[in-house]
Amino acid sequence: MIKELKSPLRVVLENYGRINPESIEEYIAQDGYEAVGKVLREMRPEQVLSEIKASGLQGRGGAAFPTGLKWEFTAKAKDAPKYIICNADEGEPGTFKDRAILEGDPHKIIEGMIIAGYAVGAHYGYIYIRGEYLLSINRFNKALKQAREHRFLGEDVFGSGFNFQIEIHQGAGSYVCGEETALMESLEGKRGNPRFKPPFPPSSGLWGKPTLINNVETLANIAPIILKGSDWFRTFGTKKCPGTKVYAISGHVKEAGLIEAPMGITLREIIIDYAQGMRDSKFKMAQVGGTAGAILGEDMLDVPLDYASLGEKGLVLGSGAILVMDETTCALDMLECFLNFFKRESCGKCIPCRVGTEKLLELATAISRGEGKEDDIDLMLHTAKVMQKTSLCALGQSLILPISTTLKYSREEVTEHIKGRCPTGVCKI
Amino acid sequence: MNTVNLTINGKLVQAEKGSTIMEVALANGIKIPHLCYEKGLSIAGSCRLCMVKIKGRPGMEAACTTEVVEKMKVITSDEEIDEARKLIVELILSEHKHDCLVCESNGQCELQDLAYELGIEKIRFPVSKSIEPTEDSSQVILKDPNKCILCGRCVRACAEITVQRVLDFAARGSGTFLISGLDQPLVDTDCVSCGACIQTCPTGALTEKLARFQGRSWEFRKVQTICPYCGVGCQIELNIKNDKIVKVYGVEEGPDNKGHLCVKGRFGFDYVHHKDRLTTPLIKHNGKFEEASWDGALNLVATKFKELKDKYGSDALAGLSSAKCTNEENYLFQKFIRICFGTNNVDHCARLCHASTVAGLSRAFGSGAMTNSIWEFEKADVILVTGSNTTETHPVIGNYFKHLAAYNGTKLIVVDPRAIELTEYAEIWLRQKSGTDVAWINGLMNVIINEGLYNKEFVENRTENFDEFRKVVSKYTPGKVEKITGIPEEKLIAAARMYGKADRGSIVFAMGITQHTTGTDNVLSLANLAMLCGNVGREGTGVNPLRGQNNVQGACDLGALPDVYPGYQKVSKAQVRENFETTWGVKLPPKEGLTVVEIIDAASKGEIKGLYIMGENPMLSDPNLNHVREGLENLDFLVVQDIFLTETAELADVVLPGVSFAEKEGTFTNTCRRIQLLHKAIPPIGKSREDWKIIMEISKRMGYPMAYHSPGEIMDEIASLTPIYGGVHFDRLGGQGLQWPCPSREHPGTPYLHKDKFTRGKGLFTPVDYIPPAELPDEEYPFLLSTGRVLYHFHTGSLSRRSKPLDGIAPEGFLEISPQDAKKLRIKNNDWVRVSSRRGKLKVKVKITHHVDKGVVFMTFHFAESAANLLTSDALDPVAKIPEYKVSAVKIERI
Amino acid sequence: MKLRNKEKDVIALLNKAQRENKHNYITEDKLKLTAQEAGLSYSEVYGVATFYSLFSLKPRGEYVIQVCDSGPCHLMGSKSIFKVLEKELKIKVGETTADGRFTLEEVSCLGICNEAPAMMINEKVCGNLTPQKIREILRELRKKK
Ligand SMILES: Cc1cc2nc3c(=O)[nH]c(=O)nc-3n(C[C@H](O)[C@H](O)[C@H](O)COP(=O)(O)O)c2cc1C
Ligand code: SF4
Ligand code: FES
Repeated sequence: MIKELKSPLRVVLENYGRINPESIEEYIAQDGYEAVGKVLREMRPEQVLSEIKASGLQGRGGAAFPTGLKWEFTAKAKDAPKYIICNADEGEPGTFKDRAILEGDPHKIIEGMIIAGYAVGAHYGYIYIRGEYLLSINRFNKALKQAREHRFLGEDVFGSGFNFQIEIHQGAGSYVCGEETALMESLEGKRGNPRFKPPFPPSSGLWGKPTLINNVETLANIAPIILKGSDWFRTFGTKKCPGTKVYAISGHVKEAGLIEAPMGITLREIIIDYAQGMRDSKFKMAQVGGTAGAILGEDMLDVPLDYASLGEKGLVLGSGAILVMDETTCALDMLECFLNFFKRESCGKCIPCRVGTEKLLELATAISRGEGKEDDIDLMLHTAKVMQKTSLCALGQSLILPISTTLKYSREEVTEHIKGRCPTGVCKI
Repeated sequence: MNTVNLTINGKLVQAEKGSTIMEVALANGIKIPHLCYEKGLSIAGSCRLCMVKIKGRPGMEAACTTEVVEKMKVITSDEEIDEARKLIVELILSEHKHDCLVCESNGQCELQDLAYELGIEKIRFPVSKSIEPTEDSSQVILKDPNKCILCGRCVRACAEITVQRVLDFAARGSGTFLISGLDQPLVDTDCVSCGACIQTCPTGALTEKLARFQGRSWEFRKVQTICPYCGVGCQIELNIKNDKIVKVYGVEEGPDNKGHLCVKGRFGFDYVHHKDRLTTPLIKHNGKFEEASWDGALNLVATKFKELKDKYGSDALAGLSSAKCTNEENYLFQKFIRICFGTNNVDHCARLCHASTVAGLSRAFGSGAMTNSIWEFEKADVILVTGSNTTETHPVIGNYFKHLAAYNGTKLIVVDPRAIELTEYAEIWLRQKSGTDVAWINGLMNVIINEGLYNKEFVENRTENFDEFRKVVSKYTPGKVEKITGIPEEKLIAAARMYGKADRGSIVFAMGITQHTTGTDNVLSLANLAMLCGNVGREGTGVNPLRGQNNVQGACDLGALPDVYPGYQKVSKAQVRENFETTWGVKLPPKEGLTVVEIIDAASKGEIKGLYIMGENPMLSDPNLNHVREGLENLDFLVVQDIFLTETAELADVVLPGVSFAEKEGTFTNTCRRIQLLHKAIPPIGKSREDWKIIMEISKRMGYPMAYHSPGEIMDEIASLTPIYGGVHFDRLGGQGLQWPCPSREHPGTPYLHKDKFTRGKGLFTPVDYIPPAELPDEEYPFLLSTGRVLYHFHTGSLSRRSKPLDGIAPEGFLEISPQDAKKLRIKNNDWVRVSSRRGKLKVKVKITHHVDKGVVFMTFHFAESAANLLTSDALDPVAKIPEYKVSAVKIERI
Repeated sequence: MKLRNKEKDVIALLNKAQRENKHNYITEDKLKLTAQEAGLSYSEVYGVATFYSLFSLKPRGEYVIQVCDSGPCHLMGSKSIFKVLEKELKIKVGETTADGRFTLEEVSCLGICNEAPAMMINEKVCGNLTPQKIREILRELRKKK
């Protein structure tokens, strides 16, 4: 069990830790599969679409695209067959919310997928789970088996004439495979290289067919919205970003773990109210949104953590991961660590990212060893900017954020290294 | 209309909807830097050099992946874009080996050009220094990983053009590298050495091994011409330095090859400069050749032929023309034989490959050639390939079939006794017993008629004799067909439905159909099948014989045949003959002449005394070689005109040195009736002479002077006498050539035949019954021998075996035998065996493979050391006189 | 048809091949088999197998120890975890012990950042690592035969 930090509010994590995830009966006892029943018996696909649209739900995988709109695009696509994919690749460092849902409440995802399938006219669903999540895979397998036995999956679900199947595909260690088109390539048995877009998955996705791809947390919101209505859903969060968010907090805090809170909660609230404050030393900075996210300094402690508020500042909420760092942390050492991650996880397809990630790391490493030049810092920024403008997928495009925000708060600290001194003593010069 | 208006850098341009910014820019002469994009390959969008700005959209977009839309405003270059490109190129250069001084691609390197254009003087990044070894295991391809920029063009070329999928990327991120196979040396992979990867590589990562240090791009003279090997007629560009061909590229605009080539076309050109080239005439004295002057040799030839003609009469002379020579030369050759010899005893190797095609298709449709064009295969829903090992014999077309099956959804039905490569791409593979073709084709039609899948309207309006035909077909129930052919009933029915239901079905065949005693029947049956389903006279349909030699179509078209003049005009028709007599100003013999095998027979009987062979090698190509030798040795006088001292030339009294394709002008007609121009690239080697000039010299000495100054003049005469070539003149043949029939100067040529009407009026259904092959295995000769070709050699190997890379890859012949039979005979791979038939015997190495069924063995006929035609049967098709190469009975013994 | 067989889950096939091997790698034979089954060419299957970090084409130890060095684990001291492991096993990252029992690798985030620093041994994850805890884990593993 992942520690869940006193969350009074539960939409996505409703059943988490409260039911036996391997028992469909317990899930059913919590109104499980009622949403599917409701949809299949009482609603036309268009009604489902408009309910999801009305809820204002945004994709929880990082890009925050309006879910209802994505569903509608897929529903309108002319080609057949269509596919539903649940993106359970969760590779963003610091993120472990999808794992919690997969391990703790797998049926909720199945339910979300069936409803999505009905709404867009798909009869086949895949869930792509990262290879490292063995427990998730096992639990999901069991859940699928039970759902089939209870005839929630298969032919003629709820006697409605609607058919739906789900199959698990397993990843094998690749962060970029969480990118939706890379995921599809991987699912097709190829190297996990992202495709260029457009065409977007709703018109041409898996095997070139219309495909709806949603994050685990996104899909976990579907059944509650269907059962309780979009108005209810909108009572949480902000106007622009309704609903709750599952934040994953780690680093130098007293309690690391998961928090479900309304969108718009601030960093300060999360650290103090949920994570019980800092461990031993003072707050220095936090990285929000995973390794591709921005560094926030003390001045940002009271910014609401939702897509819109951060977006206005050119920042991202991403997956909702929060890595809190105290004063013992060397900003350059962390940047090197982030760059190492990108270098290792770049798929290598496009030149700016394939070579850029390597050169950025080389430059950062040189600086951290005291072998850098002042110009190198600007070259790093410049290179990352070109990568942002020219890279094929969001991996190469997003490096700029951690680099630019690190420099925003810690340029002096980085420069100190060039002069031969690591202020925190972390780097060996 | 489906057009879009947009501006690029302020210039207003029009484009077809669905095209990308890159395509539109290139079409309008606007340059956008790129490395991963290449026309004809799928789009990767991975180099990111083509980033452009579009007004109203944030950031930049890749021109190669972005579709144009109405009113789009594209900017292809500004300070920000250029700086981004510069940085990307610097990134590439930071891990690229900089040995431009000795790099083969210096001067034609796209990376070098970009660095120059962007003015990159220094690289801001740390430069990686690790050096990987060069991979040189292939006979023809050199791979230098240090220069690979991972643009992926070679990977896509290998997967999409040749569909071999030998190349790919391994690992990921900055560790990504190019691999072949399981990261093996190229020789150990499925690489077929087509060189498509070299042609597309933008840098020096993949280069021609044999061209290394032979010259730089700017030193080459470039001459566009036609490949001398097979009938596909690929357009090639020769790169020449000091009158020596150094390398060859496929011409992208080539209508039938679109830049693609096979190993022979790309790498098999060095025979042109081989030390064995004949450089002077030879005259045999006391069994030994001695060098002679042209005058001496030509005078001797003319005198001897005149003598024999006077003594024994015209019909004691004969000539074999050449499908390797140009149209103009073939025309002159038959004209010479008909006038100076005074006989119609003129034929050529088409007799041995597609005589039955010409006979069968002329009878059914009125024209004996491919009904449709190569590029039209793309339009077919179903392609039925039978008796054609296309990927080895017509590789560019074979690869096209693989491409269509893999990427276009085209369904392939392959009917072949051998497990040829195409069977792996086929939706349905029917494995018939050799020589049972009429039976399975009738079986298909039986099902199609019974299930009402045939095209009643077409049959009613455009054909005749359906009822007679139907009676015969009705006997061939799937059950009966299974007994004859070994094809399971349900498979036959499935194939019948697939072909029968297709809107556009195309039939493709080659020598597996024609080289039988029932060759003409087989072809007639295929014609029946196509007509039955209305698959004639539309794009992507038809009956399409793939012709073997580069100009075998032309040699036939121009009357190097004993029964017809140029344009298939019957010798026996008085009116036709008179026309030729008037133009040529002589009396012409009315009697049809003898065919190839008949000429040899007549020679051994002493009825033919003198023979003139131009560019043919019956001593390897014809069936029953011992008998051929006997015939040739029995002649009073044999003249062989060739570029090498072939097995046949060795038997000659006089040998005249002709020239190769690179040394002459003229035209070749490819398998889809396309007449294309050949350009002279180098002067004749030694004292050798263009073949048309040699013919003129002999003709003059035999009392009929010919006064052509150029092949173009000859073509003008051809046009005046040959209605199907009526509008063909050299000045019209640039680029795309012309497809006959082209009756007049204004006519654009004909991509597909029989559009609203068959050449003969109505299509003729011919009832055909199954007849077993002439010789089947028995107790004494228990194996069925079939013969054919391999990818790396051509015909009798006189050219390909003198090519270092080709002979290097495939240096010897072999006998394919099934594992079951090998086990029974207790032989292992590479063991030597003796193979014998009623006609001869030979020794050969064994290759054990699933490609042949049990009871069947297969050999190629390229290798003089193990000449398969010592064994083959010279039983002939009664109509077309084509021998039954595909079925003879042999026995095999371990030695 | 020699072409890609859409029904086959290539990663699952490779996964199985690796799992069945005592040395936690995919043998050349298995690669070839997978290619045939899935309708891939050799280069394609090699390209796929080397793309994913969970696969190895070289023999590895009976126990593959994969230590996370992404942000949260790095922050919480993964460097010292590597040090302890390198010292205890007497190998460097990427190497296998001479007795063929252990391989040490560096990997990206394992998704248990709340227990950073963390590692995975074969398919089992262990979090909240300390030098002490690592020595204990190794002792347990060494005991097993
Ligand atoms: C490099 C990269 C990695 C990604 N990883 C994940 C992931 O692990 N899980 C996920 O749901 N989305 C991930 N995404 C986002 C997906 O591309 C996609 O936006 C998401 O699956 C859409 O689902 P949603 O609309 O429900 O958020 C990633 C994107 C990029 C660029
Ligand atoms: S940006 Fe990086 S991860 Fe994305 S396609 Fe390019 S190389 Fe691959
Ligand atoms: S040409 Fe467009 S990305 Fe390479």
